[in-house]
Amino acid sequence: MHRSRVTITVNGRQHDLEVGHHWTLLRTLREELGLTGAKRGCDRGECGACTVLLDCKPVYSCQMLALQVGPRAVSTVESLGTVDSLHPLQTAFLKNDGSQCGFCAPGFLMSAKALLDANPSPTEAQIRLALSGNICRCNAYGRIVASVQEAARLLAKG
Amino acid sequence: MPSSNIGVSVPRRDLLEKLTGQAKYTADIRLPGMLHGKILRSPHPHARILAVDASAAARLPGVHAVLTPFDAPDGRVAPDLPILDTRVRYVGDEVAAVAADDEDTAQQALRLIDVTYEPLPFVTDPVEAMRAGAPDVHDGGNLVGGKPITLERGDVEEGFAQADRIFEDEFATQAHSGASLEPRAAIASWEDGCLTVWKSSRGIHADRLSLSLSLGIPRQDVRVIGPHMGAGYGNKDETRLAAITAMLARRAGRPVKIELTREEEFIAGPHRHATITKLKVGVRRNGTITAVHATTIMDTGAYLCSGPGVIRRAGQGALYLYRCANARYDGYLVYTNQPSAGSYRALGAPQGHFALESLIDRTAEEMGIDPLDFRLKNHVGPEGQPGERLTPPGEILDTQPVEGGIPFSSNGLRECLEKGASAIGWHERRQTPPDARSGRKRGLGMSMFIYRGGPGGKSTAKMRLEQDGSVTLTTGVADVGEGSLTVLAQIAAEALGIPHDQIRLESGDTALTPESPITAGSTVTFSSGMAARQAADQLKSKVVEIAASELGAPQESIEVAGGAVVDATGRRMTLDRVARLRPVGALQSEAAIVPGSADFVVNAFGAHFAEVEVDTATGAVRVLRFVAAHDSGRILNPNLAINQVEGGVSQMLGFTLSERMLTDARNGATLNASFLEHKSPTMLDSPPVEVIFADVVDTVGPYGAKALGEPPSVGVAPAIANAIYDAVGVRVRELPITPDVILDHLTLREGR
Amino acid sequence: MRPFRLVNAGSSAHAASMLDAKPSSARPIAGGTDLLAEIKEGVVEPDTLVNLASVVGLSGIDHAEEGVTIGAMTTLASLADDERIERDYPALAQAVASVATPQIRNVGTVGGNLCQRPRCWYYRSTQFDCLKKGGDTCFAIAGNSKFHAILGGIDCYIVHPSDLAPVLVALDAAASIVGPQGNRPLVLEEFFVGPEHNMMAETALEAGEILTSVFVPKPSQAQHSVYLKARERRTQEFALASVAANLQVSQGVIERASIVLGGVAPTPWRASHSEEALRGVPVAEVDPETIGKLAVRGAEPLRDNRFKVRLAASLAARAVSSLLDLGDGQ
Repeated sequence: MHRSRVTITVNGRQHDLEVGHHWTLLRTLREELGLTGAKRGCDRGECGACTVLLDCKPVYSCQMLALQVGPRAVSTVESLGTVDSLHPLQTAFLKNDGSQCGFCAPGFLMSAKALLDANPSPTEAQIRLALSGNICRCNAYGRIVASVQEAARLLAKG
Repeated sequence: MPSSNIGVSVPRRDLLEKLTGQAKYTADIRLPGMLHGKILRSPHPHARILAVDASAAARLPGVHAVLTPFDAPDGRVAPDLPILDTRVRYVGDEVAAVAADDEDTAQQALRLIDVTYEPLPFVTDPVEAMRAGAPDVHDGGNLVGGKPITLERGDVEEGFAQADRIFEDEFATQAHSGASLEPRAAIASWEDGCLTVWKSSRGIHADRLSLSLSLGIPRQDVRVIGPHMGAGYGNKDETRLAAITAMLARRAGRPVKIELTREEEFIAGPHRHATITKLKVGVRRNGTITAVHATTIMDTGAYLCSGPGVIRRAGQGALYLYRCANARYDGYLVYTNQPSAGSYRALGAPQGHFALESLIDRTAEEMGIDPLDFRLKNHVGPEGQPGERLTPPGEILDTQPVEGGIPFSSNGLRECLEKGASAIGWHERRQTPPDARSGRKRGLGMSMFIYRGGPGGKSTAKMRLEQDGSVTLTTGVADVGEGSLTVLAQIAAEALGIPHDQIRLESGDTALTPESPITAGSTVTFSSGMAARQAADQLKSKVVEIAASELGAPQESIEVAGGAVVDATGRRMTLDRVARLRPVGALQSEAAIVPGSADFVVNAFGAHFAEVEVDTATGAVRVLRFVAAHDSGRILNPNLAINQVEGGVSQMLGFTLSERMLTDARNGATLNASFLEHKSPTMLDSPPVEVIFADVVDTVGPYGAKALGEPPSVGVAPAIANAIYDAVGVRVRELPITPDVILDHLTLREGR
Repeated sequence: MRPFRLVNAGSSAHAASMLDAKPSSARPIAGGTDLLAEIKEGVVEPDTLVNLASVVGLSGIDHAEEGVTIGAMTTLASLADDERIERDYPALAQAVASVATPQIRNVGTVGGNLCQRPRCWYYRSTQFDCLKKGGDTCFAIAGNSKFHAILGGIDCYIVHPSDLAPVLVALDAAASIVGPQGNRPLVLEEFFVGPEHNMMAETALEAGEILTSVFVPKPSQAQHSVYLKARERRTQEFALASVAANLQVSQGVIERASIVLGGVAPTPWRASHSEEALRGVPVAEVDPETIGKLAVRGAEPLRDNRFKVRLAASLAARAVSSLLDLGDGQ
């Protein structure tokens, strides 16, 4: 197996790692860094459970090699907020029951974060479009939209 | 005084963990020294395995264990399913397994396993499978049980003889994957001959029993832990994966984890049964129904799983939704060399209702009666079906009876029909002319449904007052993502008289919890809820007794409210004080109940309404609006209930319009085992759903609640199919209704 | 996923020489969203991936008077976000917005979209040894053919999956190719080749060649273009059928017409019968339905895809109709 040393910035921390050339970013996050928030739902870039941000843009971490990341900053759901200090998105999802089984939630939250960072007051249509690369098989879509709308309001209030 | 626990949108218990990425699902767990397993799967739809040479795989550096059908234990994980078999019955059936240092090595090892197959004749179509001379998928024939199940009330032949008109159609539904986002995973670890398994599970106690029987080890030596579950929708109740993982771990002497790939999950995770239903309805000139006869052929694929339950449930609509003295259902459950079908949300009811509610729509139209009026006229009422009760008095009633003469514990069907119709604007329909120029046409459609559920198997709950005044509720049922544990805590808190957040939940581990049934059939809130309520009542009696003697007050004067004990004169004792009057762990209660009623049938009901737009140029169907009116008794947690209904409706949009598991008839191989090709609804496809709950408090269920988990999925397909008919005049009798189906129907009708 | 070596290319020429040295076992990787799926599925098994992301100058959108040059490594998201693309090349903007999902568009590239491999489920499954994988039969012919070709399927019935391809062909785009022998331009229409030319590939790229950019001439004020895509869901879909139309109208008469279908043939399919019927015709005399039917003239559907004939005809009619303002657009 071919390996190379890389420096990869995840959630604001630099990690010096030796990675297999064929390792995906998702595998590297989960297996090497122990960050299991991003999920392996399909491993084909088709469900969105592995969504992380690369320099603020949502990507499927399962369909990208760790070596393709380069100097771009990776953010996972673990960077969003903690139980004691929730991000407004988490507060809103909690209040609006924005998830059922929760497996898709880390991916939805990161797609939503990218949206709200770029567009603090999105319309419902913009929310649906921005989150259209994430599948929720519980189909809690109605509650997810309501959660993102509320998060936008919370963020606007500061 | 309004309750602080019941009818309140308490946040989902485990949501915080899930939203912070801290919740551990099975695949997130890593044990020291853990190996990774992979499964070799059959490329043949039907074959005998003559030999497996795994020696090269075993020699590969990093490989620690190999399992083949020739060295696996003889035990069975289900009556027709060994841990590994020398005969494979579908493309994807498990053949052998390896455990290695990492997934790549395990994958490489699979390529080195040399299997000698003797291909056997195969059959992928259930109708062909029933013909004489068809290859037997299992010894003993393809029709399960050797004959159909027949359920009859009255005499349908007599009923049809009384009819002025008879309507008849044939309907087909597809193999349909639940496709939970979390692929199945299992971890096994042995210590001193005792096995611990972590797995995606909707029934840890049933899993433990199955593992103990198949592996031949005592039940007390098996511990099953169910971590957070990336949903089940009725699936994830099987143990073959866990048994294989356990055998690899035993051979390797190290813990082993197997995570299925998405492709494996689509193929090896049991589907909703494909069906063919012939349905016949007899009607008098005045619009009353004289007879209903449904015949369903159901493809259970290579293995049985929950097939016998599913085939029965598919008949409930035909037998019980319309008031009718004569009703009959014949169900044929058939083995084929297709991937297995199993439990998926509402078990057969969506298939049965698609046929029933489509044909009723046509019947109403041809009788010149509005479909809503037809249903208002004929739906089964609170008094139940005509006929005589056959179940002996005092005996707990089946929730899907065939006989008449038994009233329902509650029946809000009429209210659902009326409120739903008003919300969708049923009476104003056809007043907006279609936009002929654009080729896009709109239509409204509806359906109604009945669903068993509520009372399930023997259910248990334990409660314990801790020294700090908090209360622990212990239950062995699984929360498969629907939030049932949150609701159980609300019920227990209400019965005990404390705020719900003083309840701590203990679940998901056979070592900690009492024997409990699987989470199935929309029964947890009702059944475990009744057990929790009873356990709470018992604990409350003990608390009251202690407080009464401590305060020197009569027991009747004591109340538990707001987390404290109060007597008539206003003297208070906090629960921690009560607890400390007894040794640690002494204040406990345990309830084991057989839920249900000897006097009433407990069923959930509802009516669904859809507005669609059909693009006659592209065949695309868009659901613009959906109204879901449900009688699930009293709603204990509105937020969770609304999410459950919205989600269930949207999930079945896929069943109705886009999803189908497809195999190639030439070799039985699955063609579309990916999310791209599975075509689950996305946020852009999912319509706004207006949820209405009938104002019903059930007379039997805990705090008046009934079943809610599955009912939302029962009426979706016929409501949409009927709306499509309303829009473009095409009756589609086969699911899913994809654009090609619409276009082919339009072409056929136009004769071009 | 089967292990491989990833090598960063220093330049286009470097990439070309590395690919030329190992034509059977090396592959270029751009975004990787398609290639990695193929490797994971075991459809291709490269030993070496030549990373084009390390090559300077392969990405970017360069607007000029005569047209726009789009680097092959430009992400689909950058193309979708470009305001001048939206203004000057509306059909291209519509096409790129319809590709896959936001996450794919953030990573997937224009070059990758044009060079992606077929989505045919027989090609993508290791259970079927089809012609494209060196086997001796096309399983779609007697099999499940709903998503397959109705036009131009010779022996093999894949459809070209790209959304950008039909639009770029309709807009008369040209490709720039770098190879061991240097650069060569190619009309984009000739970049796509059907199974009759090459069973194992869908582009005209020779061993060692890579696509470096696409040039799109700037449409005149008189040109109007649109891209319509039919799909089963409203996102995450390849086209059941699509149409790119580019019409030039002057003084009420159609001077030039490009109608190119996607999702119905192994290459972007030029509906030449429709184009001929439109050229020189006064707008008022155009019957979109007839134009639509001409677009699929010669179609030979398989067992499951007869609907595509009607669908593609309807889409073409709708596209023409919307451009000539004869009725409803999308």
